[in-house]
Amino acid sequence: MHLIARRLVTVGLTFLVIVTLIFLLLRLTPGGPFDGERALPPEVEANLRAAYHLDKPLAEQYGLYLAKLLQGDLGPSFRQKDFTVNELVAQGLPVSLIVGASALVLALFLGMVTGTFAALHPGRFIDVALMGFINLGLAIPGIIVAPICVLVFAVLLGWLPAGGIGTPQHYVLPIIAAALPYAAAIARLWRGAVLEALKEPHVLTARAKGLPPSRLLFRHVFPVAALPLVSWLGPLAAGLLTGTVVVEQVFELPGIGRYFVQAAINRDYTLVMGVALVFAALILIFNFCVDLVYRLLDPRIPV
Amino acid sequence: MKTPRRLVLKTLLLLLLASWLTGAGVNALADVPAVHLGLAGEPATLDPHRYNLRVEESVLGDLFLGLTTFSAEGKIMPGAATHWDTSEDGLTWNFHLRPDGRWSDGKPVTAHDFVYAFQRLLNPKTAASLAYFMYPLKNAEAASKGETPLRDVGARAVDDLTLELTLALPYPHLPERLLYPTAFPVPRHVIDRVGDRWVKPEHWVSNGAYILRDWKPQQHIELAHNPQFTPAPATQSVFYHSLANGQNAYNRYRAGDMDAIAGFPAGELANLSTTRAAELRLSPQLSMMYLVFNTRLPPFNDVRVRKALSMVVEPSILTDKVLRSGDVAATSFVPPMVANYDHPALPQATVPLSERQVQARALLTAAGYGPDKPLNIVLRYATGTDGKKANLATAAFWQQIGVKVELHQAELKVHYGDLRQGDFMVAQAGWLGESNPEHYLGLLHGSTGDTNYGGYHNPAVDKLLNDARGQKNIVARHALLRDAEILAMQDYPVMPLFALATRRLVRPDLRGWHENPRDAHPARFLQR
Repeated sequence: MHLIARRLVTVGLTFLVIVTLIFLLLRLTPGGPFDGERALPPEVEANLRAAYHLDKPLAEQYGLYLAKLLQGDLGPSFRQKDFTVNELVAQGLPVSLIVGASALVLALFLGMVTGTFAALHPGRFIDVALMGFINLGLAIPGIIVAPICVLVFAVLLGWLPAGGIGTPQHYVLPIIAAALPYAAAIARLWRGAVLEALKEPHVLTARAKGLPPSRLLFRHVFPVAALPLVSWLGPLAAGLLTGTVVVEQVFELPGIGRYFVQAAINRDYTLVMGVALVFAALILIFNFCVDLVYRLLDPRIPV
Repeated sequence: MKTPRRLVLKTLLLLLLASWLTGAGVNALADVPAVHLGLAGEPATLDPHRYNLRVEESVLGDLFLGLTTFSAEGKIMPGAATHWDTSEDGLTWNFHLRPDGRWSDGKPVTAHDFVYAFQRLLNPKTAASLAYFMYPLKNAEAASKGETPLRDVGARAVDDLTLELTLALPYPHLPERLLYPTAFPVPRHVIDRVGDRWVKPEHWVSNGAYILRDWKPQQHIELAHNPQFTPAPATQSVFYHSLANGQNAYNRYRAGDMDAIAGFPAGELANLSTTRAAELRLSPQLSMMYLVFNTRLPPFNDVRVRKALSMVVEPSILTDKVLRSGDVAATSFVPPMVANYDHPALPQATVPLSERQVQARALLTAAGYGPDKPLNIVLRYATGTDGKKANLATAAFWQQIGVKVELHQAELKVHYGDLRQGDFMVAQAGWLGESNPEHYLGLLHGSTGDTNYGGYHNPAVDKLLNDARGQKNIVARHALLRDAEILAMQDYPVMPLFALATRRLVRPDLRGWHENPRDAHPARFLQR
């Protein structure tokens, strides 16, 4: 299809720009991957640099990296010497995806339920109470919520594990902590959108004709209200993905979000690139799907 | 408009969630009897010849058995070698290997394995950053630079069970040097077959009490008992968890997941001293944190300035009042736990405290600094741990004698990168080491290179250090080193601050754990 082909080209170009930018940024940062407390003898450092092609001119390093990338090889990790970046990403990505996707679903569910309840009783106590609660959720950042969750539920009450993975229970707190800030934002957005949709002429007509409430909501109100939410889903997913960095840090989850920060500190060039590219790919794909959904929801929107 | 269907749906979901949560047995430690230990960071590799980090030493010590090894109390004991003897001149050492030494796949461990290992360590292609640990071997340094063939290195298999090591100069501390993973044997028969992939669990072969069962990055390293190793260890499985974040480590420990952790937030110390006194371990380590002056450039190319600043800082105030975390104040450059060494006091120790500021001011004036021309300096340190607190206190000491101090913090890599470039005035540095004064005094040798960050060079000190290296008798050797330390410290090239202490929590029911200055806790002696 015309649309898909054009979008794929754009996605590909965006990807290339991201690769180039990160490549350059990493090389420009002071400190190299082999600087540490114990000095390296010059011969050893020379050998290390040669093994990782760091002794070649920048353009050549870039070309070598791109060639490998096209074959799906993200290269060896500079710091985790016993692993390739592919292995590290393969181990970490499922964890991040589980947390991110579940948090997204939970955030959508919580946000839409609360938003709907509030919108259906505008101005009444339940609306005020819910919105007050939600504003609190918006104001308190995730980096505060997460450690408090750990302290209360894991350390003091002992209901849930304090960190790591291994059982489904290990994911409960991280998913909740990741979802809450976004649930709050979605609730606000959804409440406004539903309120607006409820005023639409076609809704009033349907009510006048005696349509049952559930059909009214699901068939006529939600699809209209969904448009603003869907258009925000792209940035939302991006935010959740990068938000996993914090959640993974606090809950000691072995996802790729933590690699982002650690690898940058260690100047592990290939790992930073690998993780950044995975994030970029996910966000680009997600945005692409969102655009398709948008088209489905409202065929009037031009391609 | 109430919608009963949605209400029902919501309630059902909530019930489901609640039942799952309460049904969740928070099983703190797995049912498999195992020991769970927290590491202060993630190892970068489990190839003993490529290791570089302190945390790797702990894991590698369980996977491999060197010629010498640590006892449960952290002392040197025979490992793969049952005994050893030295020649008259101290240059030739013969190590006699235990006849029942086996790789985990059943093959015998022979002297040829050790010869191969030393050659691999020194091979420039291996790019081993700590190859210089084995430079005491004859021709080792030249071989590592590619100047002589590897077969000329002073390691020879007299027969399958006798290894002959030839040294360039006498080195009575050789058994201690062999404790490091750089001297561990590696399975040649596996490396020849699969190359660098030999460190993967599916190919893993080692000769220690444990083998590598699995390594999940950012989670844990799982070790399983090596059936070929005798005596069999008390614990079948060991899990090393990488817990770089002190708060997370502390949470996991309190939740019952860990038997021992390697760090916790500094702010918890006061609380833990009362609530978990039996589990708290603050033991001094063979290490030295110090300030190094850049002697190549003003103002610290002037010994008077260095002396003035060194005199007014009281390390005991830093450790006892500011840090209060068990660190041991320095009274000499070589740390106090180094054995068989008569530590000379720092030259400023003879001056009473009340006099020091007066003398310091006089020295600064003589050097040309005063109220109208104040001394402006930048003190650099690396982020992390308690660097900032200690350095703020040091800066306060200096401000008392009219010095203007600016603190500059940088991330670890950048900090040490700058130090090795000589791009600093005065900076904090640290050194973890052996029970060997030379290990620390070597930092002050003129031809040490990069790690002599301040570029200090005193030919008289160098001569004493070189003479000491020619001594095979420890007493004579240490006497010369002592003279070197006294002479060097009169130039005030560095300001020793304190030796670090571990900050650990260990379950009281974990037997076999003994505090020692090398922080060595071989897992084969641990048992819950």
